[in-house]
Amino acid sequence: MAQKQPRRAALSVTHAVAVRVAAVAALVAVWELLVLAGFWPPAVLPGPVQVWDQLLAASDSANGQGGYAGSTVVERLGVSLRRVGYGSAYGILVGVGLGLLMGLVPLIRAVAEPFVTFLRALPPLAYLSLLVIWFGIDEEPKVYLLVVAAFPPVAVATAAAVTGVNRQYVEAAHALGASRLGVVGTVVLPASAPEILTGVRLAVGVAYSSVVAAETVNGADGIGGMVLNAQRYNQTAVVLLGLVVIGVTGLLIDTAILALQRAVSPWRGRA
Amino acid sequence: MELVDVEHRYRAKGADVPALGPLDLRVDAGEFLVVVGPSGSGKSTLLRLVGGFERPTAGVVRVLGGTPVAGRDVGTVFQQPRLFPWQTAGGNIATALRWAGVPRADRPRRTRELLDQVGLAELGPRRTWEISGGQQQRVAIARALAARPRLLLMDEPFAALDALTRERLQEDVRSLTDGERGVVFVTHSVDEAVFLADRVVVLSDRPGRVALDLAVPLPRSGVPADELRGSADFAALRGEVAAAVRGLTVRERT
Repeated sequence: MAQKQPRRAALSVTHAVAVRVAAVAALVAVWELLVLAGFWPPAVLPGPVQVWDQLLAASDSANGQGGYAGSTVVERLGVSLRRVGYGSAYGILVGVGLGLLMGLVPLIRAVAEPFVTFLRALPPLAYLSLLVIWFGIDEEPKVYLLVVAAFPPVAVATAAAVTGVNRQYVEAAHALGASRLGVVGTVVLPASAPEILTGVRLAVGVAYSSVVAAETVNGADGIGGMVLNAQRYNQTAVVLLGLVVIGVTGLLIDTAILALQRAVSPWRGRA
Repeated sequence: MELVDVEHRYRAKGADVPALGPLDLRVDAGEFLVVVGPSGSGKSTLLRLVGGFERPTAGVVRVLGGTPVAGRDVGTVFQQPRLFPWQTAGGNIATALRWAGVPRADRPRRTRELLDQVGLAELGPRRTWEISGGQQQRVAIARALAARPRLLLMDEPFAALDALTRERLQEDVRSLTDGERGVVFVTHSVDEAVFLADRVVVLSDRPGRVALDLAVPLPRSGVPADELRGSADFAALRGEVAAAVRGLTVRERT
């Protein structure tokens, strides 16, 4: 029986991947059918083939434009991913730290919760102007925008996870002579890890979806900047290319975080 | 361990509910005390006071002459094993050793010794959810023994196990007093109480007071468990404890 379990898990992963690939293929097919039906002109709704051609063109640094407007798609993606990486990393650090304090100290929770909820409710574009006034138009406001967008979901998830840690584990740790710090490090954090990582998934998603907003200010070198530039010139295929690249890489990042979540908490649902 | 004139009350729905006492109780080094009583008699409260998880409303609890502090001098085994599922069986014990101040270099050897002591020498690397309920409870016992506590508290540790596993564990647990370590074991089972105890205390219905304090002069070793359970002495003692518990239950109903 113990030997069958990994086999079943492997089959279910294959099944899940097959279902996802089929869903994407169906979506592309519907898109192509809509284009073929000719409801909208190609300038409004280019087909998957045009977007693919655009991807090839924008990836070719020797095409006379250096890819698209001076940078290839991969270079632009790298720039945006670096911003998302920094923004998410700082956001997660702040979020986990604040969430831990909120979960462990009711007074801090009472004070911080309204601010976190307030920030969560704000669309990133709303505070971008303020960040530009404070920090100028270089990298800082872009990364800070992603930090501010990313940390509330992690803080809320961490606080909820810490508050919800099974008290029996905490009591068992005290019965074994654990200090307060020992309880936090050895019990509270690992027990909260699955929910914290759910918050991290949300945070990275929010940061990634905010990158276009972040790149509206002097961010033409990123993938969001490419989308904004293409929008100015009605290059719908480039806009769609940017959206597809953001969507696909976002999906890959999410899958990686999900895999990490499963790796660090294999006990979830079993204990 | 010593309880002098101990009382404990708690607040429920605005009312002051007496849970335990007044109660005087003493457990000597090497003694195996089993506490039996109906639900609500304060058995678990008694363990929480001795374990240092709560302070009594009145009276004094002393363990090794001082106020009990959770995790110091006293080990606790709960009804559920409460193993940390993010660690292996051996990892749980190593963590307890770390908290007990055992140097890092000594922990692997001590972990092996403790696992060996509860008959699970091979299961150190296994995840806690991969082993049976009985094995989990054995690991929990090994973990509670990591700090070499002078007093071990066990709160119905076998209540959730099947009858066969329960009997096997009872046989192993009899050796836990080790001549020096005292054990306070709480159970609902009269059979279990008589089989394990040097002394059985029956607590009355809420608030729990000592309704019976009975020495159990059965041999601790040299007699096979089945033979012991089938002996006339065992039956007589079981009858005496059962009568005390039954008397309480009848009173509870009337």
